[in-house]
Amino acid sequence: MNTDKQPQSAVDASRRNALKRIVTVASSVIAAPYVITPARATETLYVNTWGGIWEEAAAAHLFAPFTKETGIQIKTVSPVSFAKLAAQAKTGNYEFDVTTLGGGDIVRANDAGLIEKVDATLDRTKMAPDQVFQNGVASHAFSTIIAWRKDKYPNGGPQSWADFWDLKKFPGSRCLQSYAARVLPLALLADSVPKNKLYPMDLDRAFASLDRIKPNIRVWWTQGQQSQQLLRDGEVDAIGIWHSRTIELIQQKQNVDFTWNQGEIDRAYWVVSKGSPRAKLAWRFIQSVVQPDRLAKFCIAANYGPLNPKAFEYIKEADARLMPTFPANYKVQFEQDVAKAEPQLADATKRFERWVGR
Amino acid sequence: MGAISASTPAQAPIAASRWARRWLPWMLLAPVLVYLAVFYLVPLAIVIVSSVTDPSPSLSHYRDFFTDSFYLRVLSRTFATSLIVTICCLVLAYPLAYAMARREDTLVVAMLTVVALTFWTSFLVRTYAWMVILGNRGPITALFRMVGWDPPPEILFTRFSSTLAMVHILLPFMVMALYSVMKKIDPALLRAAQNLGASPGRTFRHVYFPLSAPGVVNGCTMVFILCLGFYVTPVLLGSPREQMLAGLIGSQIEELLDFGEASAMAVVLLLVTLGLVALYNRFVGIDTLWG
Repeated sequence: MNTDKQPQSAVDASRRNALKRIVTVASSVIAAPYVITPARATETLYVNTWGGIWEEAAAAHLFAPFTKETGIQIKTVSPVSFAKLAAQAKTGNYEFDVTTLGGGDIVRANDAGLIEKVDATLDRTKMAPDQVFQNGVASHAFSTIIAWRKDKYPNGGPQSWADFWDLKKFPGSRCLQSYAARVLPLALLADSVPKNKLYPMDLDRAFASLDRIKPNIRVWWTQGQQSQQLLRDGEVDAIGIWHSRTIELIQQKQNVDFTWNQGEIDRAYWVVSKGSPRAKLAWRFIQSVVQPDRLAKFCIAANYGPLNPKAFEYIKEADARLMPTFPANYKVQFEQDVAKAEPQLADATKRFERWVGR
Repeated sequence: MGAISASTPAQAPIAASRWARRWLPWMLLAPVLVYLAVFYLVPLAIVIVSSVTDPSPSLSHYRDFFTDSFYLRVLSRTFATSLIVTICCLVLAYPLAYAMARREDTLVVAMLTVVALTFWTSFLVRTYAWMVILGNRGPITALFRMVGWDPPPEILFTRFSSTLAMVHILLPFMVMALYSVMKKIDPALLRAAQNLGASPGRTFRHVYFPLSAPGVVNGCTMVFILCLGFYVTPVLLGSPREQMLAGLIGSQIEELLDFGEASAMAVVLLLVTLGLVALYNRFVGIDTLWG
């Protein structure tokens, strides 16, 4: 259900991609007899992608430079599926060698032995100190922020999750993602738990806090596209939504605004599927894609914030200000403590599912 | 017997042809049987096995399912929703298919095209289209405002909106199932009934409807079973309280990695569906209707 856990999966873009792929395949079939095959067999690496804008940006700014440099071809497989990663480690059949995981998933994957140990040859000199985590390499980040309709709140919308919960000060309908790991910390913040005391989560307190806002939640969003449409069409007055989706709406001159304040940052990590026969190539690939200059271009194109601070040297300030990891934005937001949250998540998710259905 | 006839040379070709007659149908069926075994029976067996072995051999997943009022409520809601959608589809599709089957002109082609057209649009796109139509800035809400009903009633994110969209998505299946059967009903039978003094209502009740019944059963079974597997549409359009079992199965796998519980749920859904079909067969008889 919730495979769409990261932003950027525009239907248009994926359709365009599919068309492009058909054209490429068709033309290569037609041209096949005239192509001289190189004597050396080319190596291929299979990368799991989110499709859409994500894949377009990755293909142009991450995959192409890597192939040019090493001669290793990249083939993509989508969508991203944690279940598939688990199945691969179990069966030894590899559909992809490399994938990206969010914070909650990487702890789970590492605990369950679904990913390879970080390769000893990985050069960390150009990385941030905290960039290697749980056998993954942090790449980019997105943020769940508070956005609102300006026609509903002309004097400014909710500036914190406590405001978002305050139905007297900001009357109207609400919407949040149907995803326990992201929603529960917000409920605690709204109940005035300080940022640094969120984990381990007090689940009873979080659900009690959610009870207060539940009558005003018209719908729980599950897909990035859906959250965007809900805000664009004014179905809801205020929403917890990904920053990239909101910025897109603002760039389309929609009547919406948002705050970085108390935004909830999610990290994406590159990992290698456990037991992959192409693990060596995979680590070379990861080394290449977190290089500051390439990461910078990818983040600009796909609306993310780089997790290698050196990448900002390659980003114009106007662009950087729209990124969750830009220092001024970063310091008013918070990060999830995924290592502490992970042991709670299975129970929290089950409880959340039941609570929503009640 | 084959061995005896093969002993005389003159009869050998007959034996060969008998052998062929016996095995040829199976050889022709072989590709589809292999296909079904590989892509249907084997995965199904894996699901059944993992429902009692993942992570350790026990029936605990089934016990968990049947002792949890939440799961049971979702299961019953799934069936209730599917039943409502099936009935709505039948009521809407029957007159349409009837009209299509009784005509011979180009209008039929036009109607068939319109029905088939919805097949060509991705159901996700159709679901989003309903969000726009029923939404705050959609034509329905505008109509309510025009007649002075302001603020207009909330249509989106209710049970009504999700049912409406599912009926829209599944309607073509029902129309096609009914149309293919109705097209084969001999109009002479209806004329004969009327000649013998039956009123139009009586002709329909005693002649037309029984003859169209196989289509009704086919269509209802298909729509009902397809509907059981829906979850994206209810999640996007329905009320947050309205979950379908397929959605829960999905989240068991994607969010909780609990393949065992998910398999058990899938098996329960399958068994209950088969149970319903068996019940129907017992009291109504599927074979007689399909025949």
